[in-house]
Amino acid sequence: MSLEEFTKNIIETDLLVIGGGTAGCPLAAKAAEQGLSVLMVEKSNTERSGNIAHGIDGYGVFPHGISIQELIPMWSERMTKRNQGAGRNVDENIDYMIFKNEWWAVEELERMGIPMKWDDGDYYWTPHMIHGKGLKLGLRVHWHDVKPKMARMCAERGVKTLNRVMIIDILTHNGAVSGATAFNTRTGEFILIKARAIAMATGMYCRLFDPETPLIWKYKMRYHYNPATCSGDGWAAAYRAGAGLAHMDDASWALRIRDDITNSYGNFVNNDGILAKQYYWNGKPASPYHANTYVGNREAEGLGLTPIYQSLENLPDDFQKRLEVNFLDERMVSLKLAADRGFNPRSHRYEMMSYKPLQMMMVQGISVDEHFQSRHLKGLFAVGDCAAGVGGAYGACTSGLIVGAEIDKYISGAAEPVLNEEKINESYERAYAPTKVKDGTEPMEMESAVRFICERYIGSFKSEGKLLEGIRRFNSLKREFLPELMAPNPHYQMRALEVKNIMELAELHLHGCLNRKETRGNYVRLDYPEVDNSRIDRLTINRIENGVPIAEKFLVPALKPEYVEALKQL
Amino acid sequence: MIVKIDNDKCIGCKKCYNICPMDVFTWNTETKKPKVTYEEECWMCGCCWMDCPKRAIDIKYPASLY
Repeated sequence: MSLEEFTKNIIETDLLVIGGGTAGCPLAAKAAEQGLSVLMVEKSNTERSGNIAHGIDGYGVFPHGISIQELIPMWSERMTKRNQGAGRNVDENIDYMIFKNEWWAVEELERMGIPMKWDDGDYYWTPHMIHGKGLKLGLRVHWHDVKPKMARMCAERGVKTLNRVMIIDILTHNGAVSGATAFNTRTGEFILIKARAIAMATGMYCRLFDPETPLIWKYKMRYHYNPATCSGDGWAAAYRAGAGLAHMDDASWALRIRDDITNSYGNFVNNDGILAKQYYWNGKPASPYHANTYVGNREAEGLGLTPIYQSLENLPDDFQKRLEVNFLDERMVSLKLAADRGFNPRSHRYEMMSYKPLQMMMVQGISVDEHFQSRHLKGLFAVGDCAAGVGGAYGACTSGLIVGAEIDKYISGAAEPVLNEEKINESYERAYAPTKVKDGTEPMEMESAVRFICERYIGSFKSEGKLLEGIRRFNSLKREFLPELMAPNPHYQMRALEVKNIMELAELHLHGCLNRKETRGNYVRLDYPEVDNSRIDRLTINRIENGVPIAEKFLVPALKPEYVEALKQL
Repeated sequence: MIVKIDNDKCIGCKKCYNICPMDVFTWNTETKKPKVTYEEECWMCGCCWMDCPKRAIDIKYPASLY
């Protein structure tokens, strides 16, 4: 098709927000208040989309009862030492920016109609995972219906929202973003967007490893932090356009619960010194730390001490009641599903799938500075889970609002967007090629193959032999079946593009793990059991430079002197 | 079957069809009722179950989750 044919369906906007979830909605609403024209595209419907589609119980970590000065190193130490090496918090300057603006963000959300207080008119604080003794850093919110409110908040401010529209690619001109290609997942209509700036808010990349069910691909179960809609579309599009992705050689993990009621890892209230969870091995209580430790699970399996159970049964009655409110706020249907099976969540011991932890991409994302601008692609901003170093509802809302408030400064200086015909054709081909294939491979079958390869050959315990075999299988799958990917209707066209994005990122992960020769935190290379000192304080950034994919070790920045000084003034 | 719609209770308000994050439903223009078309993609988030004004939707674990 020619540019003229394409441009019949062109939408022009100052700001394009991709993804209308926890970060995208506040960003779009705030930017619209600055007088910008804002277009928000969402693959689902902003009324119920993203990680908090069905609600959430915790807003996240807050500098409450502690100074920001104390909180930043505490937060970053938890992530860097205990967990992931230079981990989720890849940049203390980002932490600074978020913690400093959190109260402002809460006030902004309240002003825009998002309730943060409880019915009695007060904030409700709970200990967060990183809490020290007596510290209540977590803001507990009643957010079972926050998404419809966020959608309304955007509509009232004149944000133009396109639901059921999936982004294909970001278009660039002279090293800056100039627009995007997209299509409607119900009608199949191709959409071209011209924009001066793009804010990526597509959440994280969740569909890399096996889903949480005995069957490989059918009937995915909802899991915490892993909404099934998040297939890394934003990361893949940003990567193709030249933005850097941080930490693609790492993955987080948590224990799966066999019979879903909630997650085993997360913002669970643990009040007044009472353990919110008790783990049982072989009928005996075990320390949560040990049961939650990766190697510990492996040992337990080898020693015949499994199953491991998670249980709430020894908690006092009032505590149980509070947990039930958590379930209702987070995912109401979980209590109903438990009741259907005759489980009483108060007394039932939920089996942990200790032999097969849930793997996810939580620490990774588009590499951004503390103003949430891509370090490599001009005009691209990334917020929420989509950005590396930003996490949780607190990070998503706050980063979204910061960008929404500041982005008019960038846009007023941005060049007139110019669209590149060749790139549009390439992008069209990416999304529409599967619609022409007959008797090919279904997207879900392809996805299950990719996820099985990643689970089996990257897995929890890595080694060169496994990774090389994984790469070999991945390459032959890609060669033989990717051209055959079939999409008989627009719905499957969406799934097919998702699979392509999943595969693009899975490939980065496979090669990243092969090249990362060390064991640190949860990253276990059985053939390299030592920490690689050259990687301390560094993270890997994958990006495409002049058409060539490169991986570079990036020095994690220290807190800037002006921020250190500003903290002293607080 | 994970998602079941009780067509006697359903008033055809399109809520479930509009909000489902995975777009599991399609719209039957003849009966003016939603249809569970991509049931294998359901991730049991419970949004349709929660938001249905007539409680016409039931969500149950399939056998594969036992």
